[in-house]
Amino acid sequence: MAMGGITEMAVSLAHYLTVSAILLVLGVFGIFLNRKNVIVILMSVELILLAVNLNMVAFSSALGDLTGQVFTMFILTVAAAEAAIGLAIVVIYFRNRGTIEVEDISTLKG
Amino acid sequence: MNWILALPELVLALSGLAILGIGVLPKRNTHFACAMAAVGAFLLAAALAIGAPEGSAFGGQIVSDAFTRFAKVLILIGAAAGVVLSLDYNAREGLDRFEYPVLLVFATLGMLVMVSANDLMSLYIGLELLSLSLYVVAAFNRDDERSAEAGLKYFVLGALASGLLLYGSSLTYGFTGTTNFDRIADALSDPSKASSGLVVGMVFVIVGLAFKVSAVPFHMWTPDVYEGAPTPVTAFFAAAPKVAAIGLFARVLGGPFGDLAGQWQQVIVLISLLSMVLGAFAAIGQSNIKRLMAYSSIGHVGYALVGLAAASEAGMRGLLVYMAIYLLMNLGAFAVLVAMRRQGRAVERVEDLAGLARTDLSMAVWMAIFMFSMAGIPPLAGFFGKMFVFKAAIDAGLWTLAIVGVLSSVVSAFYYLRIVKVMFFDEPAGALDPRPASVSFVMAASGVFTTLFFLYPAPLVAAAQAAVAALLG
Amino acid sequence: MIAALSFYAFAAILIASAVMVVTSRNPVHSVLFLILAFFNAAGLFLIAGAEFLAMILVIVYVGAVAVLFLFVVMMLDIDFAQLREGFQRYAPIGAVIGAILLIELFMVLATWRFAPEAATLRLNPMPSGVTNAEALGRILYTDNVFLFQACGLVLLVAMIGAIVLTLRERPGTRRQSIAEQVARAGTVSVRSVPLGAGLKEIGIARPPSPEEEEPKQVEHHHGHGGHH
Repeated sequence: MAMGGITEMAVSLAHYLTVSAILLVLGVFGIFLNRKNVIVILMSVELILLAVNLNMVAFSSALGDLTGQVFTMFILTVAAAEAAIGLAIVVIYFRNRGTIEVEDISTLKG
Repeated sequence: MNWILALPELVLALSGLAILGIGVLPKRNTHFACAMAAVGAFLLAAALAIGAPEGSAFGGQIVSDAFTRFAKVLILIGAAAGVVLSLDYNAREGLDRFEYPVLLVFATLGMLVMVSANDLMSLYIGLELLSLSLYVVAAFNRDDERSAEAGLKYFVLGALASGLLLYGSSLTYGFTGTTNFDRIADALSDPSKASSGLVVGMVFVIVGLAFKVSAVPFHMWTPDVYEGAPTPVTAFFAAAPKVAAIGLFARVLGGPFGDLAGQWQQVIVLISLLSMVLGAFAAIGQSNIKRLMAYSSIGHVGYALVGLAAASEAGMRGLLVYMAIYLLMNLGAFAVLVAMRRQGRAVERVEDLAGLARTDLSMAVWMAIFMFSMAGIPPLAGFFGKMFVFKAAIDAGLWTLAIVGVLSSVVSAFYYLRIVKVMFFDEPAGALDPRPASVSFVMAASGVFTTLFFLYPAPLVAAAQAAVAALLG
Repeated sequence: MIAALSFYAFAAILIASAVMVVTSRNPVHSVLFLILAFFNAAGLFLIAGAEFLAMILVIVYVGAVAVLFLFVVMMLDIDFAQLREGFQRYAPIGAVIGAILLIELFMVLATWRFAPEAATLRLNPMPSGVTNAEALGRILYTDNVFLFQACGLVLLVAMIGAIVLTLRERPGTRRQSIAEQVARAGTVSVRSVPLGAGLKEIGIARPPSPEEEEPKQVEHHHGHGGHH
């Protein structure tokens, strides 16, 4: 754990980055291929943010630098706010349309 | 800790909270008072932004320089005009709730934080403060199916964009070990040492920002959101947030990633080309004028990005001048859209403007000026914006970009002139309702600027020049 | 060794539950798998030495966000039997694109290297001898106070947004008037009510009925439009 150097981790950085990349791809996959339910899309967004947080924490640990963890705190806060607004919008959409199926979200087009 | 540098932001934050208090406590409707207070707060913040000293504050997380001054003043003008345009419309549509100006104040605060960001963290939080407020105002007409749908689409794609931007930020942090822009620039000062991981991160950041400025191929939310959201909200979207997002784009690519210009230039050239072409061709068949303006705004983002693609001082200056002109003329065009109502109901088809010259000549003349200016016809302001960016592109050797830009301008002139033709030569579809004074004021102010810009362009160009010197220096 | 083993266990469950979040047909199942995913991510945070964030992830995400999701899924009256089978059409091409993206990301990430100057560019090197929570607290409220407050505003905007979009004031609902109750002079008053008298005649306040409220609101609009 030499000061000024990049520290050794218990598990290698590449492992963390791999897990996070898989989560990211799953989240993007969930957004674009979901045909049934908007709420699942919101959950996919949460997965993407989880992937980012995992990346940040892993880099923070590998670099021996706390900035990544502070960034993660902020991302967690903002993501909670984002989920609240997203769900509020889904609720008013449901009140108007009576459905949250993705294929029905197509009044606006041209 | 030099908090004086953040004075405009602090003023907006405190006034947002105060306006919230004013709005909640009385038992009557306080929309008008809150909206006026918001306009006052914007003007006060703009005065403070002009006089702000230079330097960096909060451990280098935010900066204040000529660039932030330029961008902040534009943003605050756009936001104030956006609130003024909403006054009458919201009251008539039953949207006159005090939360509307409060949300716009916080959105504007987010934009100010964005453009003064000197750190990936402040960039993200400013962007999210803006985006979250905008998701809500897009769905503000909550009993209207289209408004709710606009909010939902904007939210899903905006959240995805934020996620991609963050993933790119995390890779950038991982490579350089810091989130501070100056330090990132230090780490990348030798482009040959940049790893492939960093380049992937930068591409993710560009994709996230391209979503936010609605550049092709990340534009798909724009037409739906512009059409579905209430008209004053659309007017707000098309003005200040666009300037803020483009300003952020310039700051990120010109600052921390400035030395990697060789890597990002090709990407920007591509999205700029696609945006110009799509903006020109997709708008032709539109009958809904809000949708038409959405495609038009995509095209304008393409022209502005030509300046960024040039990756030179002249290009950046062209970008800033273009955005200033676009902001001011676009506000006028949207003032016309907000004023479009017939027998108490808002109308938004191109045919609804038919014969406007016979029923309301002054509005038809202003609208014609805005359309000519957007098409880039001299001597109106829009022509100079395009001239600056195309010239910068030619100087940088990007001939394809300049030629495609000119050709797509010609194509887009077709649909702008169609609107003029409908207004002046078609049979009247019935008179529009008398327009409120607030809307006429924005229309006239924007029209005078658009018409007379050619007489005295020096102050704007000089301010943009100083901003670019701060940005690249 | 133990760290490595638990990493693999947490990571495997995390990815498996993420797959289930995206593919499961019933949204309630999706939310429950999301909670599982958060728990396992918290485990990974712990292994990486971010104890405080691991706790926050469990408290905020499992405790608040996931429950909010569950609440909305249950509140919206969705007919689960009617939900269409997802994915069937686009799944193969999506899987191919996803796999290509993933392989490319692996190739980039597996050989991660840092900028040569990364160690000197760090802003907040981890201090030795203090707990993770203390170290975070020291910089969160000092160096990052501006962004910390801005985050507070983000939460405020979320609150305003959720209220303005979903709260509906119903006219005619009876609300408790706490100020009036507190201001009452006597303890309990018993009144002698004349036989056959209506509530109005005795002077007992009733909530206004919706019909009475209507003309008031119209007036309101007129008064407002007069500003312009």
